[in-house]
Amino acid sequence: MEIFKTDVAIVGAGGAGLRAAIAAGEADPSLSVALISKVYPMRSHTVAAEGGAAGVVRDDDSLDYHFHDTVAGGDWLCDQNVVEYFVAHCASSLTQLEHWGCPWSRKPDGHVNVRAFGGMKVDRTWFAADRSGFHMLHTLFQTSIKYPSIRRFDEYFCTDLVVEDGRCQGVVAIEVATGRFTFIQAKTVILATGGAGRVYRENTNGGIVTGDGMSMAYRQGAPLRDMEFMQFHPTCMPGPGLLFTEACRGEGGFLLNKDGYRFLQDYGLGPAEEQPRNKFMELGPRDRLSQAIWHEERKGRTIDTPYGAAVNLDLRHLGRKKLHERLPLICELAEEYMGIDPAQECIPVRPGIHYTMGGICANLETETPLPGLYAAGECASNGIHGANRLGSNSLVDIIVFGKLAGEQAAEYARGAQNSDPTTLAKLAADAEQRALAVVNRTDGSEKHSVLRRDMGQSMESGCGIYRTADEMQSTCDKLAELRERYCNINVEDKSSVWNSDWLGALEVGYLLEVAEAVAHSALNRKESRGAHQRLDGFEQRDDANYLKHTLAYHTADGPPRIEYQDVVITRSQPGTRAYGAAGVVEDKQAPPEPVHD
Amino acid sequence: MTNGNKIIEMEVLRYRPELDQEPFYQSYEVPFLDDWSVLQGLQYIKDDLDGTLSFRWSCRMAICGSCGMMINGVPGLGCQNFLRNYHPGKLRVAALEHFPIERDLVVVVDDFMNKLAQIKPYLIPKQVRGLDQGEYLQTPQQLEQYRQFSTCINCMLCYAACPQYGMNADFTGPGILALMHRYNADSRDDGRAQRMELGHADAGVWGCTAVGYCSEVCPKDVDPAHAINQNKMGSAIDYFLRFVKPRGASQ
Amino acid sequence: MSAQTDKRHPYLRPIRGWWKRDRYYIRYLAMEATSILIALYALILLFGLLRLGQGEAAFNGWLETLRSPPSVALHSLLLLVFAYHSYSWFKVMPKTLPAIYWRGAKLPQPVITRIGVSAAVIVNLLVIILFTGLQS
Repeated sequence: MEIFKTDVAIVGAGGAGLRAAIAAGEADPSLSVALISKVYPMRSHTVAAEGGAAGVVRDDDSLDYHFHDTVAGGDWLCDQNVVEYFVAHCASSLTQLEHWGCPWSRKPDGHVNVRAFGGMKVDRTWFAADRSGFHMLHTLFQTSIKYPSIRRFDEYFCTDLVVEDGRCQGVVAIEVATGRFTFIQAKTVILATGGAGRVYRENTNGGIVTGDGMSMAYRQGAPLRDMEFMQFHPTCMPGPGLLFTEACRGEGGFLLNKDGYRFLQDYGLGPAEEQPRNKFMELGPRDRLSQAIWHEERKGRTIDTPYGAAVNLDLRHLGRKKLHERLPLICELAEEYMGIDPAQECIPVRPGIHYTMGGICANLETETPLPGLYAAGECASNGIHGANRLGSNSLVDIIVFGKLAGEQAAEYARGAQNSDPTTLAKLAADAEQRALAVVNRTDGSEKHSVLRRDMGQSMESGCGIYRTADEMQSTCDKLAELRERYCNINVEDKSSVWNSDWLGALEVGYLLEVAEAVAHSALNRKESRGAHQRLDGFEQRDDANYLKHTLAYHTADGPPRIEYQDVVITRSQPGTRAYGAAGVVEDKQAPPEPVHD
Repeated sequence: MTNGNKIIEMEVLRYRPELDQEPFYQSYEVPFLDDWSVLQGLQYIKDDLDGTLSFRWSCRMAICGSCGMMINGVPGLGCQNFLRNYHPGKLRVAALEHFPIERDLVVVVDDFMNKLAQIKPYLIPKQVRGLDQGEYLQTPQQLEQYRQFSTCINCMLCYAACPQYGMNADFTGPGILALMHRYNADSRDDGRAQRMELGHADAGVWGCTAVGYCSEVCPKDVDPAHAINQNKMGSAIDYFLRFVKPRGASQ
Repeated sequence: MSAQTDKRHPYLRPIRGWWKRDRYYIRYLAMEATSILIALYALILLFGLLRLGQGEAAFNGWLETLRSPPSVALHSLLLLVFAYHSYSWFKVMPKTLPAIYWRGAKLPQPVITRIGVSAAVIVNLLVIILFTGLQS
């Protein structure tokens, strides 16, 4: 197989991967950077993010408020040292993007505008209309073209990491166009491969969000952390699950049940007011809103759609002008896919899987437990999002930690040497054989599309918004069965050129591995926290026993081994997550301590 | 959930380089629901009828630009066109025109990617500014000058629509020239003279004969025809003044 | 499956006959073809100029030919062609101009077209009135 030598290999060319590549290119232009992606960079799922990216800019805002909003939003499962670093670097990262041309929406005086977002005390979400992720991704991709040290491997599908002498030393990839394997031998590897939302049936994610990097790191012994925390976004299109951004609510949209009632006030998020108010009502955190919709369905107060229960997103009072200026993509989505004019009618929405809070265990420096391997972006769990992510924290997460990963990896690469190339090549050849075995099998009887559907259905029933031990166990059993059946799949397409049947089968393999980590982590967490809520005797948060991260370790032929790791608490002791009126009382009682940069 | 009892016949242009000398149409009967897109029809074929059908897709919401294809002879996004609009009747789906077919609905886009890099598609700022100085100021009116042209999703439907691109291998093409204009029109940018070296050529704006089909098919209303043709005036002026103003009208 | 050789063989579809493939292209070429007929009319006028240079009798002969039924039919056709050509020119015109702002909002392209067409109609009417006035 072809062997390509580089200093830094980056898998994934979304926001985090591109930012890391640029950072490595700037840190040391003499280092070679290989940027590997299974799709052309502009197709990365960062492109679909809509609402915005958080960064403290207003005079009445502070790093401290952002810190506390994030930690409380995460239900105190955040590593606070990482959150401190994070909030201190948000605004400068977003300014850097502006300097590179990102078309942030502006105030009349020419300064960048910010808007309100769920769970945030003060407006601090920078936005580019309602296509923030699109603009960020295209700005980063187009800027990356300036750096001659970045060599792109577009449409190269990674299958395995190469690990020798306890260090990660490269990655094996399939050149999609030819079906041939390439071993990218690197001094260091950064994974920026995104989340794994496609383990669920109904999700906002693109087809490519299949947990590839998570699976590759997992198989090499790096633990997947906090996988049970999968975020349901409250306002998705029934059926396809396409996202209606939180910004709809930030701009003043209401959520109504079938009686036209703003039901969120019954769930500790009220009182309801005409104007949007930060951390009240529709601007509460995503997990609370999704849970409220779930309860409304149980009470029979939701609307029936062919795809399940929904509530109404009411944007009519915003007026056509504001809708087209601030939420143009939303208008397009509603009109083209649902035949609804948001200025005239309400949009039925229901919760769908949107974001993976968990991921490859990474520390503040973006290092994973495997030396030479770094992780940034949605594929990583570095402790910022905890048990529930606040909207607009992810788009800025990817550039803050993408940059850091690029710098750290560049530093490591300068001092690193690869082991004996023959050994590495042999490991790469083994990886090639494993991947080829999937397509070359002729006596298989299972279809990967069937396994994928079964998995999605099972995850939805067992690891949904509310969970019970029986249902989670059922999902764990089902996934074990699917793991067995996966060993027997037949890939119909045996060709070499652009064989998407084979790649789809490999993706199902990755998804099944990640799904088991999710299900077993969930089953073992005997408490309710953030996005992991139980109805079977563990309805409360249990800080005494579970103020810990879940670590899922891959085992040779069975379910993951579950261990725990303490959460890093610095300044904010676990308290109540209070929104609405209760939140105001809470704020008055405990003035926050200042953050020192 | 059953797919309902409406069925549409989809004829898909197949091409497997290891088996086929040339492309051919293959028919599939696809049961569908009213809100199904053409992309969902293709996914049904792949999951349930014929796993060997290859096509690019990801976001399903017309923002990633992956699923460009010819739908009954017209360039369109698979995720944004709906089966109900072609039913009853036959629906013909083929790879994007004017690109070599790699496999089935997958086309070779190397030419586009190379040309994208050639126009210097990044901000070349008028003044250097440190991060501690904050953002460049840009009013909403200044943003409006280029905002529309910045919404291109690189889906390449305009390239399938443009007969000049089909006939002339050197032509940079609508989408990329629109992106060039996006940067030229950005108040923070000072790179127009550098970019117009390419822009002034036949490969640039002068390769366009204002057919206008690009703007018709664009799913994001980028209006590349406008981006290109408003530059012809400036390009002509630069040409005539080139001895007096070597760096062009931007000076 | 052994994948060490490059088995790609991209297929280039022929561009021949492109203009027939899509109604939009046919309309475009029809629009462009009006230029040929306009060039024909220019030749007719040039011929008239030539005849003028050859003296009053020659010029009157040219005018007589222009008044013949086949010529009137041709000119009626040419009038329609000119009208379509002008309209299509105004349709493309907004694309060749930078965006025009009126009271803070961008003028939609169809509005610019309508302004252009209206101006053309008014000018033509004025010319007709002027010339019929001069003749009477």
